[in-house]
Amino acid sequence: MKKVIFAVLILAAAGAGIGYYQFNKPHQNMERAAAEFSVSAEALFGSFEADEQQANEEYLDKVVAVSGTVREVSKDNNGQLSITLDSGSDMFGVICQMDELTDHEGFSPEPGQKLTLKGKCTGMLMDVVLVRCVKM
Amino acid sequence: MIKQKIWIAAAAFLMAMPALQAQKYFTREGKVSFFSSTPIEDIEAHNSKATSVVDAETGRTEFAVLIKAFQFEKALMQEHFNENYMESGTYPKATFKGQFSDWGSVDLAKDGTYPVEVKGDMTIHGVTNPVAANGTFTVKGGQVQAVSTFKIAVEDYGIAIPSVVRENIAKELEIRVDCNLQPLNR
Repeated sequence: MKKVIFAVLILAAAGAGIGYYQFNKPHQNMERAAAEFSVSAEALFGSFEADEQQANEEYLDKVVAVSGTVREVSKDNNGQLSITLDSGSDMFGVICQMDELTDHEGFSPEPGQKLTLKGKCTGMLMDVVLVRCVKM
Repeated sequence: MIKQKIWIAAAAFLMAMPALQAQKYFTREGKVSFFSSTPIEDIEAHNSKATSVVDAETGRTEFAVLIKAFQFEKALMQEHFNENYMESGTYPKATFKGQFSDWGSVDLAKDGTYPVEVKGDMTIHGVTNPVAANGTFTVKGGQVQAVSTFKIAVEDYGIAIPSVVRENIAKELEIRVDCNLQPLNR
């Protein structure tokens, strides 16, 4: 009888432990995340422009490595860095919001520079937006 | 020949007139946050990539946010939010299209603080509802800032919250919007 109670207690503790871990599970580490796609900013923007629904199915929530020329670098008043890559369109680009959980110390890209960023594709508004980006 | 050129210049000027009046203000870095507050826990999520356009002439406005760009403190909450509640794979965007009332008293080209009301259609999770909200435009040195705080009810948008966590998630969420708008030059 004692053994049974003991076993139940251990199971309950293990369950609580797993639950607690799940509840506090960390965000994906973007520096270590493997990119499922490697595309140019032009190609990524182009596929959203051509068929948004299909592009959503392909890229949404996926880790995408996107390469291109920096058009604009901006920092909002919370210090969050965003980099817009040229898409071939005059008005719109591929906006990469840099990851808040990663240290970007010493990373200060300039317009005109070519670079590759890796982030999660969230879809297209007017620009294609990637969040949680890190440099590659 | 000269006469013809004058006519062309005059025509071009006249055609440019409505374009000058139809000044639009625009951002692609608008902040949208929501807050759920219950006795059990407080939950918040932030998105800083909302796009918004305000037509300074007519007072019409449009907003759009990508659901997957909302960042939560806890990864598990973000996952549940996207996969179970918002179904953001199927409904990747939330949009609002509306009209500011009493727009005549607002001049975005002139410094000042303008309280406004906006009425329009909010689409979240594929469901569209009429929404009204109060907000403020603050114009200072050519900078146009638009802020608003309003509430929406989760069940109005066909979002089902399982009974296990029903006490953890507020029935009404507070939405805060904060945009720095730039003049849009085409």
